[in-house]
Amino acid sequence: MAEPIDPQTPEASAAPEAPAGPYVYDYAASPQRQIVLPKTVPLPSLKTYLAEQKAAAAADEAKWVKMQADFESAKAKAEAEGKDAPKPPVRPVPRKDDNDLKTPVPQAAQDADLLTLVALLGDKVEEIFEQAGELVCQVKKEAIFEALKLCRDEAALNYEMLADESGTHYPAATDFAFSVVYHLTSISRRKRLRLRILVPEGFVPESACAIYPGANWMEREIYDMLGIRFANHPDMTRILCPEDWEGYPLRKDYPVVGWGQRDITFREDRGGMIERIALQKAGQLGINLKQPKAE
Amino acid sequence: MFKNEEMEINLGPQHPSTHGVLRVKLRLDGETITHCQPMIGYLHRGVEKICENQTFFQGQVWTDRMDYCSAVANNLGWAEANEKLFGITVPRRAQYIRTMLNEFNRLASHLIWLATHALDIGAMTVFLYAFREREDILDMNEAFCGSRLTTTAFRIGGLREDLPPGFEKMVKVFLAKFPSCLEEYENLLSENRIWKKRTVGVAKLSAEDAIALGVTGPVLRAAGVPYDIRKAFPYAAYAEMDFEVPTRTEADTYARYLVRMEEMRQSARIIQQCMDGMPEGPVMAKLPKILRSEVNEVYHATEAPKGELGYYLIGEKGGLNPYRFHVRAPGFINLQSLPKMAEGGLIADIVAAIGTLDIVLGEIDR
Repeated sequence: MAEPIDPQTPEASAAPEAPAGPYVYDYAASPQRQIVLPKTVPLPSLKTYLAEQKAAAAADEAKWVKMQADFESAKAKAEAEGKDAPKPPVRPVPRKDDNDLKTPVPQAAQDADLLTLVALLGDKVEEIFEQAGELVCQVKKEAIFEALKLCRDEAALNYEMLADESGTHYPAATDFAFSVVYHLTSISRRKRLRLRILVPEGFVPESACAIYPGANWMEREIYDMLGIRFANHPDMTRILCPEDWEGYPLRKDYPVVGWGQRDITFREDRGGMIERIALQKAGQLGINLKQPKAE
Repeated sequence: MFKNEEMEINLGPQHPSTHGVLRVKLRLDGETITHCQPMIGYLHRGVEKICENQTFFQGQVWTDRMDYCSAVANNLGWAEANEKLFGITVPRRAQYIRTMLNEFNRLASHLIWLATHALDIGAMTVFLYAFREREDILDMNEAFCGSRLTTTAFRIGGLREDLPPGFEKMVKVFLAKFPSCLEEYENLLSENRIWKKRTVGVAKLSAEDAIALGVTGPVLRAAGVPYDIRKAFPYAAYAEMDFEVPTRTEADTYARYLVRMEEMRQSARIIQQCMDGMPEGPVMAKLPKILRSEVNEVYHATEAPKGELGYYLIGEKGGLNPYRFHVRAPGFINLQSLPKMAEGGLIADIVAAIGTLDIVLGEIDR
């Protein structure tokens, strides 16, 4: 921080030098404000979940086999040396916690709607599963228009309303960069369905406006916030930010602090108020904070 | 001779009838609107980005500031979306208290809608009457959680505190006088000739258009579609409540007024049922001190006073904050239907069209 200027001195009247050129935030000076890119890809998926479970079970088994082998060798060693045999190992059980927190896990699709979608779309469906009571269907990114049209027009599905459309940035993923999700609602059948596509950087998915006109502003918001453009959209412009805004705020590599934002220390004792109060309180308690130090 | 030229004018962004900072670009042919384009974003604060960088508990504070007329409904949606993300079961007493406060909030929001909508159209008296009752509801908010507008009423997993002593009496007093207050408003408006001339047949939106545009809430119900998330996908304690979903078929401003008035009656009924059947027990689920999410993705929709309020959350493995947070704000989607309502109508009726949508720019721009 710069030295505070004493208003009494004549030098203070001179205006401080303006920084030259456009201001670029100095991340090195305040490392807590650096962007930390996510390292994982939190994309819920039944395949990934099952693979993770399998790997975890295998690791657990390997650990148990190693514990048993260690025990056998220790036992043999103890017998050879004529000592007492060591305690046999106990297989560790997962720790039980008694809180009401049971995170729902992805489950195999049972619902008729998802099976209908698979039957009608065939290999254009990449994955179907259910999680937390929600139906998820991931389709190929080129087939999203067809899938949405099917969802609205097919009598067995009949999803009349597009409730929400949004996207997510996954910088840690290798073969895609964004996911775009469509939350469909069937008012007559009281059902909800989530369609999902994974798109790489620069891919232009087909707009849903021709099927659900309400997608107009939602897709403009996605473009504004994440920079995904949609093909055949009637008005692909920014909606919340001004037209000349640079960058896409909801991408993970977009900083949270504004450009040129000042460091503010709330503990800073500008008027000496904190010190005065501290001295007053100390005086009430009979402590002399201003006690001169021995030289 | 007369020139036949179209004129372009701006309504807002600083205009009392736009309820915030909404700019509407209008093209006029005489007094008839030929083109209408709402322009938003003046109140954009980046709530989604901020919440992605805060813990699950801290995010709720930001939901107060989205739709500041119905903060409790926003809190409820946020709390329930998180509970779905973590798989938390909320105690039954907490569900009842939440339901009751949410309905009080619906009353407050509808009252402020009635007050400002009537004021926009020219009925000044209702404004003062409606704010009088809203004050009582804000007092109850204050008694429950200490603040009146930005409530942060609930916690993930239940409530921070049980109802304060004396709350039951406040509710009883309010419920005893509220039906007569509703009658008072209706006496002022329902058969008022000026009110009817300004609202009947104005800003029509058919059921097909409303569904295609994703419009929800009273606007959809006034078009004859009985879609209420409290009934269709029950949450909190709504499955145990006995109430009706009022609908009309006229799909105009007057029908929306009637729907909202009837909804207020039904809300009072729900509050009464909550008070009568209030179960005993704890108000908070057992949770670890720090919530760490697993990989999960939820979309939870609740029936906010303005329509379907959806929260879309993605959890990261071991994450302290949501990886992605998105709000499906009812006002944002409903405002899309403004051109459909206003085009072909008179310039004076755009004020009625904006008022009848019941928009709050805080949630539209987020």
